[in-house]
Amino acid sequence: MKVLPSDPAPARGPASAMIEIDHVSQTFRTSGRQAHLALSDISLTIEDGAFVSILGPSGCGKSTLLYIVGGFVSPTEGEARVKGRAITGPGPDRGPVFQEFALFPWKTVLGNVMYGPRQQGVKSAEAEAQSRRLIEMVGLKGFENFYPKELSGGMKQRVALARTLAYHPAVLLMDEPFGALDAHTRTRLQNDLLNIWERDRKTVLFVTHSVDEAVFLSDKVVVMTRAPGRIKQIVDIELPRPRRRAELLLDPRYQKYVVEIERMIDDTSEDGLQP
Amino acid sequence: MMARALSRLAPLLAVLGLLAIWQAGSLMLNTESFPTAIQAVRAVPSILGDQESLIHILDSLRRMAIAFAAALLFAIPLGLMMGRSRLVASFFNPLLMITYPVPKAALMPIIMLWLGVGDLAKMLVIFLGVSLPVIYHSFQGARAVEEKMLWSGAAMGLSAPQRMVRIVLPAALPEILTGCRTGLVLALITMVTSEMIARQSGAGNILFNALDMGQYDTVYAMIIIIGAMGIGLDAAFERLRSRLVRWSEPGFDIPLSFA
Repeated sequence: MKVLPSDPAPARGPASAMIEIDHVSQTFRTSGRQAHLALSDISLTIEDGAFVSILGPSGCGKSTLLYIVGGFVSPTEGEARVKGRAITGPGPDRGPVFQEFALFPWKTVLGNVMYGPRQQGVKSAEAEAQSRRLIEMVGLKGFENFYPKELSGGMKQRVALARTLAYHPAVLLMDEPFGALDAHTRTRLQNDLLNIWERDRKTVLFVTHSVDEAVFLSDKVVVMTRAPGRIKQIVDIELPRPRRRAELLLDPRYQKYVVEIERMIDDTSEDGLQP
Repeated sequence: MMARALSRLAPLLAVLGLLAIWQAGSLMLNTESFPTAIQAVRAVPSILGDQESLIHILDSLRRMAIAFAAALLFAIPLGLMMGRSRLVASFFNPLLMITYPVPKAALMPIIMLWLGVGDLAKMLVIFLGVSLPVIYHSFQGARAVEEKMLWSGAAMGLSAPQRMVRIVLPAALPEILTGCRTGLVLALITMVTSEMIARQSGAGNILFNALDMGQYDTVYAMIIIIGAMGIGLDAAFERLRSRLVRWSEPGFDIPLSFA
């Protein structure tokens, strides 16, 4: 059930590696010209179609790791690969969804969702038809002509998800996507995300600081230490799918995973707290 | 009901009140250099009806329009690049800090020395006057663009120049247009001052010639005409602006409560 980071990834059927993170370290220069080690020697393989969460306290570099896979940040050391090719920059094979939504405020909901397909050269009418279907799928039918300003946080994140799904990325990179939402909205979005994911099983890399959320959503939870971020442990979540949150909460296996990971986080003995 | 009707009429009443005070003041002072409001307003149609005056005024507007357009074409791209590139910003920022507080009309004598008293000198002064606020606001607007928005664009396959035109420009547009509005008012001011210094043609020229010849009703009528031009241009620009950036206007943001 538990695998140490140095072990090879456990086989989940005939799986192939979608993302390989190979001895990646990241150093930032702080304003005091001091080098700050954000990520230290991370190696991780993510299989095609897996839902993997990266869990850790704030400042552990988990978002930085996601940005490296996105190609938005290049690692100081090591290499990240997608489908075997080294990542040198952003690309439509990896679609980000950010906590801040980052919608284009001058575009309507439909305009935002159509943006990617249009950029990829899909004909206007076809892009519009696809986008309308996606908007319906994320539960926003009727809001096509609204501007982001007119929407609540949960609705904005639904638009952001649809906008990213619209250009068919092989990997979804989700950076604490539900972190800015209230508990009720968050639960609804988690359920809806799983429903959408279960249809086409895209590879998902999901960054969160919520143990609950990580266990509920993932096949695999990568637990990270405090700064400098290292992989503390990888936990395989063997819970049946499709999952519904209300049912899982009563499942002793679910509770066991949550408690196990909570204990891991509590135990700071192996954390990189040295100066 | 009464209050609403009154508030709608308020601007008109304010103008009429000002004219009444003017009228009363001038009747009391009774000097030649301060004509009554009625005399000044009466001189307006005769100026606008005069073909030569009209040509002068249209000349002014033409210079202003060309210089304003040229300034936008120069200032918006520069400001946006400064906002997104530290290198460009560190190069141009000191230059702007030096030129910002200099009254552009003060440069007029030097510019006249180089370019003469014709259109080019006047348009250059207007160009300088408009450029600085537009650069400044474009810079601020571009700097405030969310990094994640640009990342989202990059993931969709937008190249760096495409991100500049299709993300930074629209995202910074509300701020850019605020700068343009300030620029428009400055264009009118520098237009009149340039014509005051380099007398040859234009609305400012009519004004100062009339002043020299002691035609005070014409002087005041020209002030009314120039003022009305300013108000008209500003109102027209404001309408255009609010249409272009309706998506960002406050008061438009009543978020719906639904997940």
